[in-house]
Parts: sequence; structure tokens; C-alpha cells
Amino acid sequence: MALGVATRPSRLPRGLRVALLLAPALTVVVVLFGGGFVQAVAQSIGYQPFLPARGPSLDAYRTVWADPAVRASVGITLRVATVSTLAAAVLGVAAALFVRSLCRTRRAFAALLQVTLPLPHAVAALAMILLLSQSGALSRAVSTLGWVDAPVDFPVLTQDAFGWGIIASYVWKEAPFVAVVVLAALSSGVAELEDAARALGASAWQRLRHVLVPVLAPALGAASVLVFAFTLGSYEVPFLLGRPFPATLPVVAYQQFRDPDLAARPLAMAIAVLTTLLVGACAVAYLALSDRLRR
Amino acid sequence: MPRSASRFMALLCGATAMLTACATSAPTGGGASPDPTDWASVLDTAKGQTLDWYMYTGDEAINGVVEGYVAPRLLQEFGVTLNVVGVADTADAVNKVLAERQAGRAGSGTVDAIWINGENFATGQQADLWACGYPEVLPNAQYVDLTAPVVATDFGVPVDGCEAAWQQANSALVYDSARLTPADVISLTALEDWARANPGQFTYPAPPDFTGSMAVRTFLYDTAGDPAMLAGSTYDAATFAPLADRLWARLDALEPALWRGGETYPTSQDAVEQLYATGEIAAYLTYGPGTVAAKVADGAFPATTRTAVPGVGNIANTSYLAIPADAADQAAALVLANLLQDPQTQLRFYAEGGIYPVIDINRLAAPERAEFDAVVLGQSVLSLDELTARALPELDTGYATAVEDGWTAAVLQR
Repeated sequence: MALGVATRPSRLPRGLRVALLLAPALTVVVVLFGGGFVQAVAQSIGYQPFLPARGPSLDAYRTVWADPAVRASVGITLRVATVSTLAAAVLGVAAALFVRSLCRTRRAFAALLQVTLPLPHAVAALAMILLLSQSGALSRAVSTLGWVDAPVDFPVLTQDAFGWGIIASYVWKEAPFVAVVVLAALSSGVAELEDAARALGASAWQRLRHVLVPVLAPALGAASVLVFAFTLGSYEVPFLLGRPFPATLPVVAYQQFRDPDLAARPLAMAIAVLTTLLVGACAVAYLALSDRLRR
Repeated sequence: MPRSASRFMALLCGATAMLTACATSAPTGGGASPDPTDWASVLDTAKGQTLDWYMYTGDEAINGVVEGYVAPRLLQEFGVTLNVVGVADTADAVNKVLAERQAGRAGSGTVDAIWINGENFATGQQADLWACGYPEVLPNAQYVDLTAPVVATDFGVPVDGCEAAWQQANSALVYDSARLTPADVISLTALEDWARANPGQFTYPAPPDFTGSMAVRTFLYDTAGDPAMLAGSTYDAATFAPLADRLWARLDALEPALWRGGETYPTSQDAVEQLYATGEIAAYLTYGPGTVAAKVADGAFPATTRTAVPGVGNIANTSYLAIPADAADQAAALVLANLLQDPQTQLRFYAEGGIYPVIDINRLAAPERAEFDAVVLGQSVLSLDELTARALPELDTGYATAVEDGWTAAVLQR
């Protein structure tokens, strides 16, 4: 369909035009994700047409907290998401500022940043196993150098208690994502503002504090909330690099989903629904944040 | 936030059947249930159908025979195109059938056949998912002893004509004879002593992984002392409770001697075999001892790899093919069930993959029997006699579930 070209105002009211433009994307999200979410809610309150009928109940939500696997998973889920987000934000901003300071090689480095973006997370996770496990490349390199005697002496970085392997995989994937977003924000006339500030006698610190930070904050905040929401709800990386217990919330939900006893299904769906609501809360926070920063 | 949304869609895809991560063919069958007693019409109906076989594809030996022998025969002799859909866990395939049942896809289900047994079969029985009444009328059923306990009951659940047997899986202990002596694998107690003397070199995947669950059940048999206490009876909490306490105490005591000091467990059998291949561990339990020879030949495993059956015996089970009642291509699935029981197919699985036959080779004509007797599996693999001499039946599904839940609560989450 023709977009409203600037020289000839469209006859459609603006609201309707926006709605039509958004329709394809929204349809996919509402039908597929919404449909799945409605199904999950229905099953979490006991909708199981293939079993003898029972009335709806909130039992699954009442018993969620009684499940030791769930109790143990809240801490590791939040820890992994928080540490990954902070590390990705710091490294991403540093990388963006570094690329901006380059002259001739800027384009090459900017392209390099985008190399990891199309790689699937599962590939990143498997690469981390090959690199960081006790029989991995790093361990072998270190033992060749004679720093450790046996693979067992190499620090445990995959399937570890803290979640370092999961965090490494996320940071490797998400720091470039943050960097690309921040770079885009930096290229919108920041240099002129900084020059003006410098001409008016602002110190480097003042330029950072009053020019760079306000310009970067919305983009960085938005990217960080996205990364946080993603790391909170992602399944494959913690499945491949984490422990069976304590595991992150999506992994626990899936463990319950695969329980051969169909009576466990409502609990699995309740965990999935609660995780979805957590991520939804992140989205609301993101909108509020970007609203406040734009003002 | 499309990225996290897609993450959740992925998580819920099994629950919704709106998304499938795997390529399935469009249903080609008419969806009508064929009459298995009229085999000629089954063959007629099957011609031109595309069969979606959902199976665990983590076993290279089985994959090789399925792709190199079963698929071509299906196509050339019966006009059936085989489409193998790999699943990491059979529960995923059962969940898909459940979701399609919820969506009301009778006669157009995309899952035509599943390699299945045990709890997953019981789950389907719980929800009445399977087509029944065909195993005894398959033409090749004459070679299968359908009354043998190992075929007639599946983890204590009566088969009731709702799944057709196609292979036998006998568990065994795989070990590196350069690091363990035969005396170390004579019994589980000897293995535990070796593990304490050599910490970090033995582990098993965390149940409910299929193999991990078997490892814990093997320890359960050993703890009970007399297999007859458990085998062949339905789950009884009063019998299990005192045994379970001793079993968890024993496995807890073993933990510090395991890989990573028992702080965690691998999440899959694949991960365990990877640890063995890289030398991090020196022994593991498996359901596929016949496939070790190929891994030694490939150089993935050390040449000093051997297999053994510890004194307690080894848990054995049968693999079956189940056909969902909603499947679109049921005729083709029946043809596959029959082809898998064909003596020549069974021989190929045995000779090329070290997969033990489910047919009773005493029912074969002398020349065919001789072919089975002539198979040499290599020195790292036990002979059929050694492997089946002390076979233990799988426990009732109730025990299997109690073992998985109990282990998770008492050993993993402790």
C-alpha cells in the first residue's frame, strides 16, 4: 500500500493509517503469542480436555512456591539476567565509544560488531562449552602452558553454581547488540553538541555528564531493558550451559512440561505464565522509561 | 519486545501446536483407520503416503540403519516416503500429539508413528492417544514372542495391542580398561569403591533423563538385593519407602566421588558420552552398548573401551512403535511397524548398529539363524548371550516416576 507521501496528504485519518501499517506485525504477535498465552493460562487453571473433566482451580499457582525447583530458580534467574545486562551495557557502551573514536577503520569495526548478531543463541552456547568447559579449548591451552596440571584443576565455568557460562554466552551475544543501538544514538549530531560544549569551555567530565549521558540514556536504557527481558525468558542457553538444579525459570517450566504425569501440566503452565508476566513487566518498565527520558 | 515474545512462543509452542519447530509433511493419508487384518488393502492405502516418524535421533547407529536401509526399502517396496522427525526427548512427540488432540485434528494428525516406551507410552494410554489392535496381526508378528513378559508389558504397563515391538535395549556399563580393571566393574559396590579412589571419573545424567533414570533404578535393584522384590509388581509405596531411604543415602554418599564432586549432573546422556570421549570420565552406564564398537572404530572413544554387566544384572527393555489414533498416515505406519519386525531388518540393525533383535531368533529358518550367529560385534562389545544372561525387567512406571521424583528431591535438590 502507498505510504502517505509528504507532498500529498493521505485521505485516511492518521490513526487508521497507523493501525493499518501495524496490522501485519500485530496480527502475528496477537494470534501466535496471544493464542499460546491464552492456552497456557487455560491449562494452568486446569483445562485438560483429554483427561476427565475437573472444574477450574488456582491450585497450580498456590503450589508454585511450594516447589523447591521454583524457589531455587528465582535467585539464579534474576542473578543471571542482572549480571548479563550490566556487563552487556558496560561493554556495549565502551565498544560504541571506541568505534566512534576511530577514523579510517571505523566502518570495519562497526561491521565486526554486527557479526555476532545473526548467530543463534544455541550456537553461542555450544561455542562456550567448547571454549570454557574443563575439557575445552581454554583448559587445554592453559594446561599446555603448564599453569594447571589436569583438566580438573581448571576453574569450573560451565554447569557452574553461579552461572558464569550462561552469563558469558549472553554477554558475547548482547554486548554488540547494545553497542549497535548506542552507536546509532551517537551518530545523531552528538559530535556538534560536544564541539559546542567544548567551545563554551566544558571539561571532558562535564561534556560526558551533560551531553553524552543524556543523549545515550534513552537508547541504553531501552536496550538494557530488552536484554534483561530476553535473558529472563530465554531457554536454550541456560539449558545447555546451566545445571539441572537450580535452573532458570524457563528451564524449570519446561522440565515440568515434560513430566510424564499429565497432572503436572498446570504447574508447568503456571510457571510459564508467571515468567511471561515478569517479562511483560519489563516491557511496561521499558515504555515508562523511554517516555520519561524523551521529555 | 519481539525477541522475548518469540522466546515464549518457543516455550509454549508444544502447548499450542500453532508453531512447529520441525518440518512435517502435509498429511497425505485419507485419515481413515485402515483394517490391519486386511493387509493387502493396508499396502494399497499406504502407497504414496508420506510417513512422519518421530524418533529420538541421538543414536547414530540407529540413524544409519533407518536412513540407509529402512527408508529405501519403504520407498522401493511399498511406495512410502519416510520423513524422520528428530526429537531430543520422546515426551516432546507425545506433547505434540496431545496438543493436536486438543486442537481436534482427528484423522489429520501430523505425527504418524513414534519410537516409544515406558512412561511416554503410559502418558498416551492415560489420555487414550494410541491406535490399538494391530501388533498381533502384523504379518511379521510370527517371529515375535508376543507373550514374553519383556514384550507384553512395557515398564509394567500392559501393551494391550497399542504398540508394536521393534528392538531390544539391554543396558551395560561402558568403561575404559586402561583406567579400570575388570575387578572394578564386577559389582556396583566395586565401582563405587573405584570411584572413591578415583574421584570425578564417574557420573550419570540427571533423571528424568531416560538413561539417568535407568542408572538410578539399577542402583535401586542393587540396594534391594533381590530383584524379585520389585520386578513384575505394581508400585507399592510401603515397599518403596524403606528401600528409597537406603538408596538416597547410598547415592548421597557416592556424590563426592562423582564428576564435579557431585555438585551437579550432566543434563543428558549425550553430554555424558561427550565427557567420556574427552576423557573427563572413565565409566558410564548406557542403554546402547552395541553402539560402542562404532565409536571406538571412529576414534571417538579410546581403543581400550570395554563393556560389562555388573553383578546385579542389567536393566533391559523393549522399544516399540506407537501409532497415534489421530494420525493421517496410519496405513504407512502399519507398514513401517511390520518392516521393522522383518528378520532382514532386524539383522541389519544387529550387524551394523549393534542393536539387539526383538524377534525370537529360534523361530527363524536355519540359514537366517546362521546369519545372526555369524555377526561379530568387535571386542569392546559383549556377545548377545553375555548381555542377556542376567537381564532385569524394567520396573513398573509407578516406580520409575517415584525414582525420578525422589532422586530430584533427595539427591539433586538436597
